[in-house]
Amino acid sequence: MKIFNLPDLGEGLPDAEIVEWHVAEGDEVKVDQPMVSMETAKAVVDVPSPENAVIGKLYGQPGDIIDTGKPLVGFLEAGETAEDVAAETAATHTEAIDTAAAADPQHAVTTSSDAEQSSDSSTQSAAASSSAADDAAQTQADDAEDERADTGTVVGAMETSDRVQVEALSTVGGVKVSPAVRALARKLKIDLSRVKPSGADGVVTARDIKAAAENPHLLAAEQQPPVSADEPEPKVSEPGQLGATASPDQARVQSQDPAPYGVETSHHPARGEWEPIRGTRRTMARIMSESHAQVVATTLMDDADIHAWQPGQDITIRLLRALWAGAQTEPGLNAWYNGKDNVRMIHKGMDVGIAVDTPDGLFVPALRGVHKATAAELRQGINRLRDNVRDRSIPPEDLKDYTIMLSNFGVFAGRYATPIINPPCVCIVAAGKLRHDAVPVLGGFEAHRIIPLSLTFDHRACTGGEAARFLQAMLKDLALPQ
Amino acid sequence: MANLTLVEAVTQALAWELEHDDSVVVLGEDVGINGGVFRATNGLQQRFGDQRVIDTPLAEVMIAGMSIGMAAQGMKPVAEAQFMGFIYPMIDHMVCHAARMRHRTRGRLHCPMVLRAPFGGGIHAPEHHSESTETLFAHIPGLRVVIPSSPLRAYGLLLAAIRDPDPVVFLEPKRIYRQYKEEVPDDGEELPLDVCYVLRDGSDITLVTWGAMVKETLQAADALAEQGISAEVIDVATIKPLDTATIIESVAKTGRCVIVHEAARTGGMGAEIAAQLADAGLWHLHAPVKRVAGYDTVMPLYKMEMQYMPSVQRILNAVNEVLEVS
Amino acid sequence: MSSNVAAFNINHYQFLDPAGNLVGNNQPAIAREFDKLVDYYKLMTLTRTFDKKAIALQRTGKLGTYASCLGHEAAQVAIGATMREEDCFAPMYREYGAQLYRGVKMSEILAYWGGDERGNDFSGPQHDFAWCVPIATQCLHAAGAAMAYKLRNEKRVAVSVVGDGGSSKGDFLEAINAASAWKLPLVLIIMNNQWAISVPRSKQNTAQTLAQKGIAGGLPSIQVDGNDIVACHWAMEKALDRARNGLGASVIEMITYRLSDHTTADDARRYRDNEEVDQAWAREPLLRLRSWLESSGVWDDEQQQALEADCVEQVNAAVEEYLALGYPGNESMFDYMFAELPHDLQAQREQALKELPAQPEGHH
Repeated sequence: MKIFNLPDLGEGLPDAEIVEWHVAEGDEVKVDQPMVSMETAKAVVDVPSPENAVIGKLYGQPGDIIDTGKPLVGFLEAGETAEDVAAETAATHTEAIDTAAAADPQHAVTTSSDAEQSSDSSTQSAAASSSAADDAAQTQADDAEDERADTGTVVGAMETSDRVQVEALSTVGGVKVSPAVRALARKLKIDLSRVKPSGADGVVTARDIKAAAENPHLLAAEQQPPVSADEPEPKVSEPGQLGATASPDQARVQSQDPAPYGVETSHHPARGEWEPIRGTRRTMARIMSESHAQVVATTLMDDADIHAWQPGQDITIRLLRALWAGAQTEPGLNAWYNGKDNVRMIHKGMDVGIAVDTPDGLFVPALRGVHKATAAELRQGINRLRDNVRDRSIPPEDLKDYTIMLSNFGVFAGRYATPIINPPCVCIVAAGKLRHDAVPVLGGFEAHRIIPLSLTFDHRACTGGEAARFLQAMLKDLALPQ
Repeated sequence: MANLTLVEAVTQALAWELEHDDSVVVLGEDVGINGGVFRATNGLQQRFGDQRVIDTPLAEVMIAGMSIGMAAQGMKPVAEAQFMGFIYPMIDHMVCHAARMRHRTRGRLHCPMVLRAPFGGGIHAPEHHSESTETLFAHIPGLRVVIPSSPLRAYGLLLAAIRDPDPVVFLEPKRIYRQYKEEVPDDGEELPLDVCYVLRDGSDITLVTWGAMVKETLQAADALAEQGISAEVIDVATIKPLDTATIIESVAKTGRCVIVHEAARTGGMGAEIAAQLADAGLWHLHAPVKRVAGYDTVMPLYKMEMQYMPSVQRILNAVNEVLEVS
Repeated sequence: MSSNVAAFNINHYQFLDPAGNLVGNNQPAIAREFDKLVDYYKLMTLTRTFDKKAIALQRTGKLGTYASCLGHEAAQVAIGATMREEDCFAPMYREYGAQLYRGVKMSEILAYWGGDERGNDFSGPQHDFAWCVPIATQCLHAAGAAMAYKLRNEKRVAVSVVGDGGSSKGDFLEAINAASAWKLPLVLIIMNNQWAISVPRSKQNTAQTLAQKGIAGGLPSIQVDGNDIVACHWAMEKALDRARNGLGASVIEMITYRLSDHTTADDARRYRDNEEVDQAWAREPLLRLRSWLESSGVWDDEQQQALEADCVEQVNAAVEEYLALGYPGNESMFDYMFAELPHDLQAQREQALKELPAQPEGHH
């Protein structure tokens, strides 16, 4: 049998009630012929036949409520007869009866015996059992009609549930509080962490907040710094006054009971406070992390002996020249490497990124054209960069695209280091603190001026040999008198 | 003490105020004998009479204009627009008069009215019954716009709105009118206006939303929790004045923000929140602020409405986009 | 088969004709209450003097756009004189005669048009509505007020005035409907001055009267000669009485003429005949009342001169008061937005007070 389900008669209505059938089982119907009048929450609607067919089964009586999408009419399929349908229906009805019988054992006794009869009388029994089932259905329908739920909406269909929900409490900062109370605390500008909870389970209630707003003394004391071991000793009482009332200072100090050294107090006196990192520090953190993640860094260290230098030479300029000397020997260190695409760019000239330390953080401005600049030009360039960095007028394009890096960290302390490369560069040279050292010379010792150098190279792009030869060229150039 | 749905909580709040404040009247179309087309005023006329719960002729402009007149003469009218889709003619009175009465008379007159309306889509309703245009009111200086998202908040915020001496537009998200029940004590305790409600603590991302979208946003937060991502969920509640401090405080913790609203994207309140974050919370952000909102299209008829409205999946997509870049 | 289920009549009332003669039968008592009439005449003259001065102030850059009430004095004073203090008045933006009667100060009217909200915080009954620019919206506010009075069982009436143009608007019609549905203690006045800026009465509506719009609500609706203070006074008293005693609302169409431009920003010569205006002057309210008072022996040239001088003095004093108002202070942009300033506005207020000059440039 082909089942025709009750369509949605409008606006998502959940069901409709059968008012009157205009056809009977066995009738032949034409398409669009009205089959039944259904009453919805709003109106009585005629449901037409969707096709030319013979009615096999009507799924309800006037007064029955049919859910949208549930069977309304069954049409006979080719070859089916009314008897076939009746038998089918009896079977399903038996199931229905069994279900109904669970509520009414009396019915069960009567109808199960009916169902045992032969198929010839099955129509009869089907009719009998179907009427019993119909009675049950009718009672159910009547009950449903009386208790028919208010849809609660004049249009559409709304999700309805009786499920009871309890909103989660917040436990931020160790304080148990509902969203509403937390909002109230914000509105009244009360520090939640200082409110004494009075609710069950240590929950802060709205009353607690309001009480605190009216009586600030109800709030827990702000955390006082504990008395440290360095506090001055309380005044010793005068002789003869022992046992007399202690001075107020004394009393306060004594009552505060400083924690024994080394034991953590609830105040965490040693701890600072989390502050967000901003600006250049944040950039540094990001770049260093990226570098660490990509670059395979190896560092060579050696000393440059500048004993032979003529007086009045600028260390930075000599270092810059030495870098170029190194690059001419081993161009592979004056290059860019892109690990993702596995390509390398060996530079024809040299722009040096010079690390500059400022109170605002680390800057690496680029000194352009080191390979062809005169010493004076280099000095000018360095000064300009330094000034621009200091007054923060340096444009972004001057902070990038250098081909190699130089760091002169030795102003304060430190000899050798493992400086970090900013990719895509593959080399950074760092100069440590200038020192005098005893150097063996011709069987004796001399005190020579030494600049310690550390060269970090990216071992993805350069070999140790290349780096060593680069460094050697640097040392050689630096050893020259000028 | 009753377990109430959101709409029942509205009724309970109205009943409390009608009982305890003689100057409160409820008026609107079908609010009296019918109890409101969503039953929001169910039983009130039977209890308080037709001088307190008034069925009006079908005339929105009249409802708005008369509410203003009543309010200026010492009453506290709680007017209903049957659907947000029918509220637009009332905008004239709300903007030209309610919003500015106190200001333009230097306090000589003021307008303590509440305009309630069911709003938002998702109930398979015919056209014009699914609007979400809260920004129209939020833009107007002098109006408060309040949107509850739970039975508890519906009760407390409506009490606060009625008691407020200035006009409040109270928009009730009808899709969640009956979605679940909550224990709502009938104690007359109002909830604070002008602050956000943090519904869930989190440390990885802040989800900001209001109205019916709270449902989907909490579901998204649950899904994220299963992936080990801790999402903080903020219910804005009072759309105007906006409590940006709570949002910024949250973003300072999480560094990431996704705003979810049903209203169309352009010029929605999400844009205002994003602008405020760009102004006062930029340094906290690790990633761009994303908005998951209705498309800038006419709200479609119901066949498509659930496609229009932000779904849990769309929220998760936005969260993933944000997490990918930060 | 049809039967007549409703019919209506609209009557027009006049007791003092343009020449200042009492006409008609059953003249109301006020027609001969000369002490009152003299008071009304004085206020009408003051209103006109004020009005003239206000225009002059605008033309000399001391006042913003101003809506003149020239020609409406009788209607307005009648409204003010018949209302009680506890009644509430919801004006449009031209009803100075009524407002002055009720205690609003001339300097406050000037303050409003002079761009200062303090004008709306006017003297007189504190429950009166302020000037209303969105056309006809005041009718619904009055209806709301009437509803409040009814619900509270107070013997108070709400009165609103709308123009011939405004009577076309939905708000007015909804007010009629509301008044009908709830039998509100309301008086709706259509101040038909024949012009809605440049649109003549004939283009607003082709019904014979505007008063008959009240018939749609089943309200008693009449027409009076708006330049005849006796008729206006009589009609107002009846309407107020009905409303006060629970008999519901009325509609009164007062027929007058807008002798001035719509506002100082308008030039009526662009759209109407000078001849028509001249003819209207012949029917104007002060002339006929003066005529009646003189012919009744209670007024003469000497009193007229004294009155005119006194009015000029009063108006000048008001102008001084207005000009001395000073700048309201930047904080006033914020301080009246809400009962308690919300946090977002507090921040903006602080910002504004920091960055704005204490006064705009060129402020006197």
